[in-house]
Amino acid sequence: MMDFLNLILEPLQEVFSKFKAFVPNLLAMLAILVLGIVLARLLKFILVKSLIAINFDSWSDRMGFTALMRKGDIWAKPSATLGAIIFWLLVIVTLMIGLSALKIPAIDNLVEQAFIYMPRAFSAAVILMIGYVLTGFISQGVLVAAVNSGYHYAKLLADAIRILLMVLILAMAMEQLQIAPSIVLAAFTIIFGGIVITLAISFGVGGIDAARRMIEKEAAGKPDAETKDDIEHL
Amino acid sequence: MNDVTFRTGVHEQIGKIGSADIIVGIPSFNNARTIAHVVRAVQAGLAKYFPSHKAVIVNSDGGSSDGTIEVVQNSSIEDFNAILLHHRVEPIFKIAFPYSGIPGKGSAFRSIFEIAQRLDAKACVVVDSDLRSITPEWIELLVKPVLNGGFDYVAPLYHRHKFDGTITNSIIYPLTRALYGKRVRQPIGGDFGFSGKLAQFYLTQDVWESDVARFGIDIWMTTTAIANGFNVAQSFLGAKIHDAKDPGADLSSMLYQVVSATFDLMESHAKVWTPIRGSEPVTTFGFEYTVGLEHVNVNTARMLNLFREGLANLRDIWVNILGAGDFREVERLGTLSDSEFCFPIGLWTRVIYDYAIAFHLKKLPAEHLIKSLTPLYVGKTASFILAAEHMEGHEAEAEIEKLCMEFENNKDYLVTSWKFQGDKS
Repeated sequence: MMDFLNLILEPLQEVFSKFKAFVPNLLAMLAILVLGIVLARLLKFILVKSLIAINFDSWSDRMGFTALMRKGDIWAKPSATLGAIIFWLLVIVTLMIGLSALKIPAIDNLVEQAFIYMPRAFSAAVILMIGYVLTGFISQGVLVAAVNSGYHYAKLLADAIRILLMVLILAMAMEQLQIAPSIVLAAFTIIFGGIVITLAISFGVGGIDAARRMIEKEAAGKPDAETKDDIEHL
Repeated sequence: MNDVTFRTGVHEQIGKIGSADIIVGIPSFNNARTIAHVVRAVQAGLAKYFPSHKAVIVNSDGGSSDGTIEVVQNSSIEDFNAILLHHRVEPIFKIAFPYSGIPGKGSAFRSIFEIAQRLDAKACVVVDSDLRSITPEWIELLVKPVLNGGFDYVAPLYHRHKFDGTITNSIIYPLTRALYGKRVRQPIGGDFGFSGKLAQFYLTQDVWESDVARFGIDIWMTTTAIANGFNVAQSFLGAKIHDAKDPGADLSSMLYQVVSATFDLMESHAKVWTPIRGSEPVTTFGFEYTVGLEHVNVNTARMLNLFREGLANLRDIWVNILGAGDFREVERLGTLSDSEFCFPIGLWTRVIYDYAIAFHLKKLPAEHLIKSLTPLYVGKTASFILAAEHMEGHEAEAEIEKLCMEFENNKDYLVTSWKFQGDKS
């Protein structure tokens, strides 16, 4: 009977002793989590205050970050949004440090790998985010300026600039993530070079007549038939 | 907020003068060709109308390389007897210096306000340095309402060609009038009179490191005076003729500077303008007379082409700002021939209000947003020119009055959208 009881109690004792050894790790994890979250909140508070002090919101308005956020239905201020992003990044880091405190080999391995890859993933995300905003800002600026200059193919020009910049940014992000870097580099070179050669050929060959007309017009002198505007707008 | 820093020489001059009744400020930048006439007109005005008042002419220069400051120092009326019946009692002092701070008309004005404060001036005037039509009477008309009439701010009122001042006529005047309820006809005229008290109030405002220091000082001064309850008037000055502007000056940049300054002020004074409905005339000084105006060339075909280019290329931006309904109306305008083109004033009013809301909600970066208004503004201007081609000046003015009434009557639309959509931001 005792043997039978030992058979039942031994695993239970083993579980209990393992649990006893595990409890300090669990408590350590919880302590790390609580401390990490408090620190993250504190850092968020300091960051948001500093961003407000340096007029980050006005700068974001000018650069188009605010407009981009509004498009994505985010109505908080840019400083508050950046503060929230940093807060949650710190919470994720804290969670990983906390999990590693549990000293479970499988989790340790996973956390280690995540830590190695995290800086790359983070910088790729930053490149994509900033790249997307800058691409939109530049192509929109080109569009508006070209229209106001009376350029007929303004939208085409702006779209071409947007695509070229997006290709460049995607290549940069993938290079950062180390996803087949040599293939990405080769593909980027081929695509970018191809676009430039296509444009050069199409403008070079297709524009011969236009260029001739322009040269002839210059040589003949400027026509004075067109009336100039003398309006004072202000 | 930092104080204005002056060079030692300027400090000494201010110290020697001690105090003054009238300050006349002339901001300048490479205006050597025209500023002498302005200085002489100001001196004659002070001598003729304020002979017993202590006056100082302040030239706040933006670092001219053409000797503007030297021209100011050397300009004076040789013989006052030739133009005056009596001798001036008080001398006229002159201070000319390069201002410090952010380059721009606003910084130049700030230095003038600062000198007015240090000299405890009772009345101040600012006039542009490229004016060709300024007469001594301008000084009387801008100073007297302040010194004797108890007014704090005197805006100019000019006779201009019916096709001139189109940004003022189609956007700034109707909008400012509808927002703040005062009929100040030239809110961005550039030549103003104001009290020493108002100059001190301007100095206390925390705007001197912002865009106000660069551009938009004119609308800022007018709006700040009205919105803060200062006593406002206007004076008829006759024709405004100034040196030819830089022909390369970009219309969209000009539009951006003026309109963004006006929209920025809507943000800071929202509590003031939202309850106001209708408008009232302001006291007007001066004797109105007809003036001969130079012919203005216009090319409406080119203007309408630009409008159609905008329609073809800026569709996404315009739909986002105007909404599908108003955009359809704009789209319909694109199908009209040049001769039948007419931009309805109701639609134009909603366009400006929609742009103000889009600016408030930061739907696009401010510069892109306002510059995308250029083709619409050009279309509206072409429409006005076509309609007013055979009109007399007063008939064209009646058309502007109709537009102003449309802005006032539609103000509920602006206020409702501002409050409703503004809650989201």
